[in-house]
Amino acid sequence: MAALSDTAPRRAVATLWIEANWIQRTATLLAIFLILAAVLAPLIAPFDPLKQSLISRLRPPIGFDRFKDGFLLGTDELGRDVLSRTLYGLRLTLGLALVGACIGLFIGGTLGLLAGLRRGWAEDVIMGAVDMQIAVPFTLVALLVLSILGSSLPVMICLLGVAYWEQYARIVRGEVRKVTEMPFIEAARASGGGPRYIALRHVLPNIVSPLVVQFTLSLSNIVILESTLSFLGLGVQPPTATLGSMVGYGRDYMPTAPWMVIAPAVAIILLTFSVQILGDWLRDRADVRLQGR
Amino acid sequence: MTLYVLRTLMKMALTMFVIISLVFFATRLSGSPLDTFLGDGLTQEDRDLMIEYFGLNGSIWEQYLRYLRGIVEGNFGLSFLERRPVAEIVAERIWPSFQLLLSALALTITLALPLGILAALYRTSWVGSAIMALAFVGYAVPNFVIATFMVLIFAFSLNWLPVVGNGTWAHFIMPTIAMSGVLIAALTRFTRNAMLDVLGQDFMRTARAKGLPETVVILKHGLRNAGVTVLSVLGLQIAGLAAAGNVVVEAIFSWPGIGELLVNSAITRDYPVLQFGVITVAGAVIVINALTDIAYAYADPRIRLGNA
Amino acid sequence: MPALAIQLETDMKKLLLTTAAILAASGAVAQDITVGAANVSSYLDPGRDHSNVGSQFYYNAFDTLIERDHSKLDPVWEPALATEWAQIDDLTMEFKLREGVKFHNGEDMTADDVVFSLNRMYQATFAPYVVRSKDRLSNFAEAVKIDDYTVQIKVERPEPLWETLVSLQQVMIIPEEYTKALSGDPMVAEDGDFEAFSLAPVGTGPYAITEFTPGEKVVYGRFDGFWGEAAPLEKATVIRIPETASRITALKTGEADIVTNIAPDQLDLINADANLKTEGSATALFHVMIMNVNHPNLTDPKIRQAMSMSIDRDLLNEALWLGKAVVPSTHTMEEMGALHQPDLTTFEYNPEMAKELLASSSYNGEEIVFDAFPVYYTNGVLAAQAIMEMWAEVGINGKLNVTDEWTGNDPEMMSRSWSNPMYFADPFGSFGVMWAPEGPSEGAGRFNTDAEYAEMWERFRFSEDVEARKAAYVELMDRIKQDPPVLPLYRPFESWGMQKSIDWKPQPGHIPYVLDFRAGSISLAEG
Repeated sequence: MAALSDTAPRRAVATLWIEANWIQRTATLLAIFLILAAVLAPLIAPFDPLKQSLISRLRPPIGFDRFKDGFLLGTDELGRDVLSRTLYGLRLTLGLALVGACIGLFIGGTLGLLAGLRRGWAEDVIMGAVDMQIAVPFTLVALLVLSILGSSLPVMICLLGVAYWEQYARIVRGEVRKVTEMPFIEAARASGGGPRYIALRHVLPNIVSPLVVQFTLSLSNIVILESTLSFLGLGVQPPTATLGSMVGYGRDYMPTAPWMVIAPAVAIILLTFSVQILGDWLRDRADVRLQGR
Repeated sequence: MTLYVLRTLMKMALTMFVIISLVFFATRLSGSPLDTFLGDGLTQEDRDLMIEYFGLNGSIWEQYLRYLRGIVEGNFGLSFLERRPVAEIVAERIWPSFQLLLSALALTITLALPLGILAALYRTSWVGSAIMALAFVGYAVPNFVIATFMVLIFAFSLNWLPVVGNGTWAHFIMPTIAMSGVLIAALTRFTRNAMLDVLGQDFMRTARAKGLPETVVILKHGLRNAGVTVLSVLGLQIAGLAAAGNVVVEAIFSWPGIGELLVNSAITRDYPVLQFGVITVAGAVIVINALTDIAYAYADPRIRLGNA
Repeated sequence: MPALAIQLETDMKKLLLTTAAILAASGAVAQDITVGAANVSSYLDPGRDHSNVGSQFYYNAFDTLIERDHSKLDPVWEPALATEWAQIDDLTMEFKLREGVKFHNGEDMTADDVVFSLNRMYQATFAPYVVRSKDRLSNFAEAVKIDDYTVQIKVERPEPLWETLVSLQQVMIIPEEYTKALSGDPMVAEDGDFEAFSLAPVGTGPYAITEFTPGEKVVYGRFDGFWGEAAPLEKATVIRIPETASRITALKTGEADIVTNIAPDQLDLINADANLKTEGSATALFHVMIMNVNHPNLTDPKIRQAMSMSIDRDLLNEALWLGKAVVPSTHTMEEMGALHQPDLTTFEYNPEMAKELLASSSYNGEEIVFDAFPVYYTNGVLAAQAIMEMWAEVGINGKLNVTDEWTGNDPEMMSRSWSNPMYFADPFGSFGVMWAPEGPSEGAGRFNTDAEYAEMWERFRFSEDVEARKAAYVELMDRIKQDPPVLPLYRPFESWGMQKSIDWKPQPGHIPYVLDFRAGSISLAEG
């Protein structure tokens, strides 16, 4: 990796772009656009997303009657700017998903590595936990935990973090076993390399690409999970909004003020859509057969 | 083979036991149920009285033993709120959820298999990419978004479809579509990929070389072999849906199902209902998984013969 | 597809029109309605229940000894299961029972049933009854059978609220034999009997509960053996539709004839439909903010006064309730007749004063958490978010915590939303039930009383003279003002949406949320 020159990645990106079809290109542009919007939200949002104005409640977007100056996508039930809230909601949703996916990667990766290298009872326990995670659907677990512990940001992050750890664990363990059975590892072992050395030196490079693919795919799953929980009112606490909670709190106003729901719903769909396509594209390129979910 | 089955059963029992215990401790650690549903205006004396009444007295270990004994004896207790056997309450809710699951499954299979096969056959033409783009959209749209927008359009604005409960076949249309969206997308993708795998393999070439028409080759050989992958994916997806995927859909369509029951009992801290509900769902998922494994083994001659 | 859609729509409309025409021509309207309710009880027993959800359901199926004319705001007492009643000494009231009254299961109602029903509350042993009877019926000693149709009720101390407390939901009459036979020994009233009763309730009212699925559905059928004017509906089905948008949609699709809990924001939407209308009233209930006087950060009363004074309740009313809610100046309601004291000013909006109070208090910008239920109260989370903004204006660092959990007993609780219903038409039935000495608020550890408060309370509760009661209440309110544990925000404007063909509205003499389908309260228009 370190040996690669500076220009190589740029060339690789260029090749990727040329090989991509129109759907993949659209998804890439969309993803860049959404990430920029999320990162720059504090700069580009026209209003403070929490600023209420009780006299300008439920104003429609530009182009409709009763439109109020400046609130391009209308206002919500407390007179807050829907566009600004959507941008900040996107920022938080995306942030939560990234942190969650990283935690999942870390936990799942470590345990998978452990299970693959150690074997014996450690492997039994870890793979037993994996089986259990598969047996009890995670949405259910998350619902129960949130309704019991109450919803808060730390709880939410933990939940999103453990949501898909078992997928990483299975991939890593599988790869580790595959790699450790290869002749050159036997050779390394014979020449006195400990398990940690073997893991770092040989296994890691081999599992990077399946992990990247898995990371992307679970990212969009986490976005949907977070949105679903927030929709049910179990996500972050108001007045802070994520995309899901905006749809959730707005749904009572569907018939009267659909703009409150449409903006965040479209943002969710675009986000998951682009991330899914990118993940799938990466998978095709890495040509890894990821089976399961 | 017997050993294998025994091992599987042991593992199932152990998993169930851990789940049963986890559910118990998770609920007990979360605070008193009284605070939630009797909370309005109780003095300390009243609270002690109610704690006794609901059998929440004694240390947590005493309660745990009572709980385990109850499970062994098949007595899962009375709901705190409704004061009737939890088995009765859960039984009432299982059937509607199951009906919805079945209809979602039927829709998924009817749409996803042909779409997946088409996408594989025409993978280079616009048909293939269009189907796949559609599948991605299906994957990207959360079911609560589909559901809320369908209600707005087809029920509220057009007055075509009913929104409340599970009374007639018309009541099934919107919930089924909302539930199937993700399933269809997933299954279409997996069917396509599995078919692509199979289409490139030797025996397909042989079959074609023998002069069999393309359709026959695909349907007879391709589908059967791809079926293995498709089946395992389907099993996992059903397991997920059976339990929780439909909580949202059930809430929006006032569907008297198990998902909504579980969430409500968690919110009201109706422990007995929650415990039995989770045990039932986890049990169902474990069984579905086991059945999928068996079906998988049966569908794939390599596994079937290897194990026999 | 669009062509098909239009075709379908035309067909549907034709079908609906034809159906309507047939109904109009025959002059017969199906006496059968469906109600979409936001919540349905998980048990039905008028004795143990005092929830806002439960109060919807009892009046159709149960009677009390004395009835109130619910079409009037001021109490007018009418005979019901008792035909006459008279006080025979300071501590005893005698009731002559109506003869020929039948329970829904066919049993005759006699003095035994009345004594059984009353004493299950007055001398409660079943835990849920004990709890309910203590907060409002503690002055009632026992009911005694004199003969088959005569009953005496005895109290501990002279009771100024006789009729009011005999017409409570909690003392509705249920059958003795039926109840006792539900489980275990048929001759003894066991806990199991009362538990079973709450799943198969039987009363004497104009409707029998013919089907009950806890939390899902209540079906009323007309009871032909009813002693009074026959029920106007053949059948009424109440189903649970938790989602607001689904309830409104169900009304539009015709799946429901009446729907409950419509927020003011949705009224225009329903009224814009030519077939639909709304009815509503400022419900006899306050949405309140309670404050924990014993929380270490809030022990200084000035902080709580500031929390209260910084809230512009009129603005909340204008914005969230379109001005239809009622903002009180003190803890009082017009339903309380002679004890209605609107001239008192216990609670007011004064941000300047709030700032001054804060400045002179021990407050140093500590975070003050405000707990709120997510969906239980209409506009609850919205009001809570607006209150956080209003606090911020005067320099209070508020934080909203939306949770389903009832935190009112938690010593960590700082402030939260709640409701204080009028359980019966007297300040005792509203302020009194919650804020009595040794009562639930004090019992929960977030409110303190002393000997002085208790003495005022005694005068307010038991004085025979109305003026003395009023004077004592003024003193109590002053205590609340000086050291506030509660702020009544407003009486919420609760609305019901319904088909235009239905003539129903909430009656002013009821406790909140009662779905009254008795004769004179509902009719279905013809044509």
